[in-house]
Amino acid sequence: MVKFWTFVQKELILLYRDFSGLMVLFVMPLALVIVVTLVQENIFKSIGETKNRVLFVDQDGKSVGKWVEESLRKSGSIEIVKDLKGKPIDIETAKKAVLRGDFQTCIHIPPGLTDAFKKTVRQSVKNSLAPDAKKRGIQTEGDNDLPVIPVYFDPTLRGNYRAGMINGLEKVILGLEIKEKMGIFSELLPGKMEEMAKKVAGPMWSDDYKKGIPKMELGWDEKPLMAIKEKMTQNKGVIVLPNAIQQNVPAWTLFGMFFIVVPLGGSLIRERQDGMLARLLTMPTSYLTIISGKILAYVMICLVQVVLIFAVGKVLLPLLGTPGLALGSSPAALILVVLSSALAASGYGILLGTIARTYEQASMFGAVSVVIAAALGGVMVPVYMMPRIMQEISAFSPLAWGLNAFLDVLIRGGNIRSIISDAAFLMIFFVITVSVAWFYMVKRGRVGIQQR
Amino acid sequence: MVSDLIMLSAHRLVKVYPKKSQPAINGLTLSITEGEVFGLLGPNGAGKTTAISIMTTLLKPTSGSLTVCGLDVLRYPAQVRGLIGFVPQEVALYQNLTLRENLRFFGRIYGLRGKELATRISEFIELVGLEESADSLVYTFSGGMKRRANLAAGILHKPKVLFLDEPTVGVDPQSRNLILERLTGFKEKITMVYTTHYMEEAESLCSYVAIMDAGQIIIEGAPAELIHRFPDCPDLEALFIKLTGKQLRD
Repeated sequence: MVKFWTFVQKELILLYRDFSGLMVLFVMPLALVIVVTLVQENIFKSIGETKNRVLFVDQDGKSVGKWVEESLRKSGSIEIVKDLKGKPIDIETAKKAVLRGDFQTCIHIPPGLTDAFKKTVRQSVKNSLAPDAKKRGIQTEGDNDLPVIPVYFDPTLRGNYRAGMINGLEKVILGLEIKEKMGIFSELLPGKMEEMAKKVAGPMWSDDYKKGIPKMELGWDEKPLMAIKEKMTQNKGVIVLPNAIQQNVPAWTLFGMFFIVVPLGGSLIRERQDGMLARLLTMPTSYLTIISGKILAYVMICLVQVVLIFAVGKVLLPLLGTPGLALGSSPAALILVVLSSALAASGYGILLGTIARTYEQASMFGAVSVVIAAALGGVMVPVYMMPRIMQEISAFSPLAWGLNAFLDVLIRGGNIRSIISDAAFLMIFFVITVSVAWFYMVKRGRVGIQQR
Repeated sequence: MVSDLIMLSAHRLVKVYPKKSQPAINGLTLSITEGEVFGLLGPNGAGKTTAISIMTTLLKPTSGSLTVCGLDVLRYPAQVRGLIGFVPQEVALYQNLTLRENLRFFGRIYGLRGKELATRISEFIELVGLEESADSLVYTFSGGMKRRANLAAGILHKPKVLFLDEPTVGVDPQSRNLILERLTGFKEKITMVYTTHYMEEAESLCSYVAIMDAGQIIIEGAPAELIHRFPDCPDLEALFIKLTGKQLRD
């Protein structure tokens, strides 16, 4: 046991004196967590919490523009901008501002829109009151092109943002359409009823009957009659709303943990190249002790990484204006996720250090493979946003298992039971990587000695 | 004083590396008695390092038998490792540890603890003349200092059999002189297997030498006796060239 701890202690001292290794293991993930979280927290807010500034150019100046403007203002999520530098904005300037990326959206109400819209609505109501007009081949008004509200977007804008804006506008237009239709319906229906009554009564018709036809007032309270309430599906325990902190802190922690493959693999290669491994293997110790010492040392490093990065999420990021990291309701599950992820990362480092022939190979391939596995694993973009094929490939990334388990605990209120399959995958990955490394080392002749 | 006790015995050792048609060592048989300094000489590719690797348990031979201190190396490698010391060709030390930290690490692996370990570390730091640099990181050492430190790490636990694979290669004359002086001091106390390309070193240090070529011992005996056998060779180097040829071995 003393020998084992001697190896662990040696690894920790060596790493403590390895400045670039410390930068990779601690400074890089900490910087990534802070920067990416703050950046994404802002994106998160731009979608749901903070107001989006939208250019609004109304060249019509009538009811449609006013309705749209008022409705968007009422939504609370949009700030209407009609002036730039104190001057009313024209459509060409507005389009240029969007193209430059100064604004993401411009809504244009062209001249004559209200008249065209009202005409279309009136004809639409008329058509509905004379449903057989089309059947009889009578040309009806409103069959021409629909009036259009052009909406200009910044070309770099994401599809989901554009879809959200269009959906919102369609809802506004639908409200206006219903209002207009009901107004015209109220206006036309009594006349239509009178016409029908006259037809039915024939010579019996008297103008006194008109009094019996009710005046229509088809307006109604604008309050919705059915509500939608946003709710998160969660296990029992603490309810945590997903946000940039809950996503990014575990994601980049995992990324940092897997970056131990670079110093760990590198240390194995240096030992082999410097003759250290040969010397160690002539000493009264086993390869298993040498490797176990390395694994424990790097698992300890991973634990320190987790504590540091989580502390940043819990303490530092809230000071910068973000919500604090919530740790979920199952500390035991969290510890299991951390340990199984740390072992998986260590196993990969051992494999890399055994197979790679030079430090450059290990550091290059190790770093690139971790970045790819992180991208596939949902560290950079959540897995559910990936195309189907990438989601299927993602299922093979150890970082996906680790991140899914972390999110289970931190967001979905999961416990040991809910993360056990991901933790098992990580442990199996550890066993496979270390076994392959062992097999490769034995095949190569323990220390890679070639004929001299 | 050299006794008759056999400390290392190799019998018909053969090693064929995978995908190689020629064996690296081919029927190596030798016997080393207690206190002897056995010089294993030969040109590049002769099989010296392979032989040392097998003797130090790093490699398994394809066939043959080997005992160290009476223990079968192939059956009891773990026990053998506690009895031997190894000073490899490379400076096999952790460059980012101090010399004292390196020696503490190696000492603990050899089972030394506490006061005994501390005393032993000081003793061997003094022996290799590195008292003033003991607490400096090894990467700051000169080549000669590293070689001396490398030697200290190999003998710290006072092994029964010490294997030295070209321990003075690329060393300044002063450091080389110190290393040879210290090794001479261990003569008759520690059995040594010594490989080198410096024939004058072998001639002065070794009590017995074997010259290898193509994986086999082509001649063996005490240096003086071998020179005596070949009157046209004034020294071991001339004999070595005579037996192994002048062609370059890369």
